Amino acid sequence: MKKIVPIILIIAGTCFGQATNPDVIIKNLKEAFSKVKDYSVDADIKVDASFIKVPEMKAKIFYKQPDKTHIQSTGFAMIPRKGLDFSPASIFKGKYTSFYVKEDIIDNIKTSVIKIIPLEDNGEVILSTLWVDQSNNVIRKIESSTKTNGTFVINLSYDFSLNKYPLPSSITFSFDVGRMNFAPRNEDSPGMAGEKKPAKNITGKVFITYSNYIVNKGIPDKVFEEKEK
Amino acid sequence: MFNLVSIELYKIFKKWRTYIGFIVVAVLIPVIQIAMLMEGQRSINFMTRNLQQSFLFVGNLLNSYFVSYLILNSLAIHIPFLIALVAGDLLAGEATGGTYRILITRPVSRFSIVTAKFIAGMVYTFLLILWLAIISLGLGTIIFGTGELLNYSNGSIIILAQNDVLWRFLLAYGFAVLSMGVVASLAFLFSSLVENAIGPIISTMAIIIIFMIVSAINISLFQSIRPYLFTNYIDTWRSFFDNPIDVHTVIKSVLILLAHIVVFYSAALFVFKRKDILT
Repeated sequence: MKKIVPIILIIAGTCFGQATNPDVIIKNLKEAFSKVKDYSVDADIKVDASFIKVPEMKAKIFYKQPDKTHIQSTGFAMIPRKGLDFSPASIFKGKYTSFYVKEDIIDNIKTSVIKIIPLEDNGEVILSTLWVDQSNNVIRKIESSTKTNGTFVINLSYDFSLNKYPLPSSITFSFDVGRMNFAPRNEDSPGMAGEKKPAKNITGKVFITYSNYIVNKGIPDKVFEEKEK
Repeated sequence: MFNLVSIELYKIFKKWRTYIGFIVVAVLIPVIQIAMLMEGQRSINFMTRNLQQSFLFVGNLLNSYFVSYLILNSLAIHIPFLIALVAGDLLAGEATGGTYRILITRPVSRFSIVTAKFIAGMVYTFLLILWLAIISLGLGTIIFGTGELLNYSNGSIIILAQNDVLWRFLLAYGFAVLSMGVVASLAFLFSSLVENAIGPIISTMAIIIIFMIVSAINISLFQSIRPYLFTNYIDTWRSFFDNPIDVHTVIKSVLILLAHIVVFYSAALFVFKRKDILT
């Protein structure tokens, strides 16, 4: 009896507990997303940043496996590059090492925190931390540090009542690219007047709300051949 | 007064030099637009290079509004010269042509003569800026189409929605008429002092250039003088493209420029009323 109880507890923990092996977590994420072959979605984009004033924008985003993305907009739109493609394949591409850190709670949802360190030198990202909701096999939060573009945090929200796929209903993209100069009018002329503005700390948030997902209905490749800036 | 103004406008548009301004605008603006068509995207990419590292841009930022905004910056030097070319000739041209005596002997007061010429000069200024607006926006829309307007202000990037730009341009061009009206008034004042049109034209441009240099050099003495120079307020049209618009600055600039116009006109009137016509 003394030996049976611990064995039962270990088996139960293995069956019903969350995985702590990051490779298993990543594999589950990829498998869940592999059901999404393609999708199109309407996006409403709001930018709240210290250095830029831009009106609310609308765009249509197209995605097709494995990594094709395209944006359409009747007017001007600016979309965070890291917020375009949230497929696990794009996050976990190339060689990397990963390790499990801990469990954490985000919006009353239990998540597993894993860190990803890319092993290739040519990548932009130095370190990524992911908060993975293993019960739904989706990523709830990504925090990445880059070589030249500072750090960014992406918070993803899901509404599974509208959409059974692991596609977010909204994301909040927070960025901090450190200090940069936006040239005032006479900056380059020596001895010229006008206030010499100090380099600004570029921080801000972009709120993107997704609606009208159309998933796995087929998107022709020519849609992705149109050039974006 | 209406008849007098009509006569003065007829005299203005009878001279070939009046059309120099319109021809220059008609040639220069399309040249700038063609250059922007070829190189404008690179300019926009340079302005937004920091942002484009983190963001994907979609849409037509190289549009008629962006190019017209750049062209409006030429208000500083190029347009004032074209204004002074005509305004400087309004009174001095009569002396050069020897028509002062014929003009003064008519049963019309000197006040009416000066005022009619001044109003005609303002009408010319308005027409030149209107022509600039039509070529910039009209031709620009045909070449580039419209879209959101990208500009810098106070160290921030401002992108204005497409349907939020045209009314700002109308106000900006209206302000440009006012600021160029100051230039016309100054040239008109110099024109009342001399008997050759070259002097007022060069004097007006010299004043503008000197004032702009004084404003631009970063010495505390010059910076204390800067608020008293009318060239400091010519650029206030840019405020119409801020979000929100700094209404206080705009009103202050409008009042200062109007005051300059009134002072220059009054001085010209004073000089002409006391002028001894000897030619």
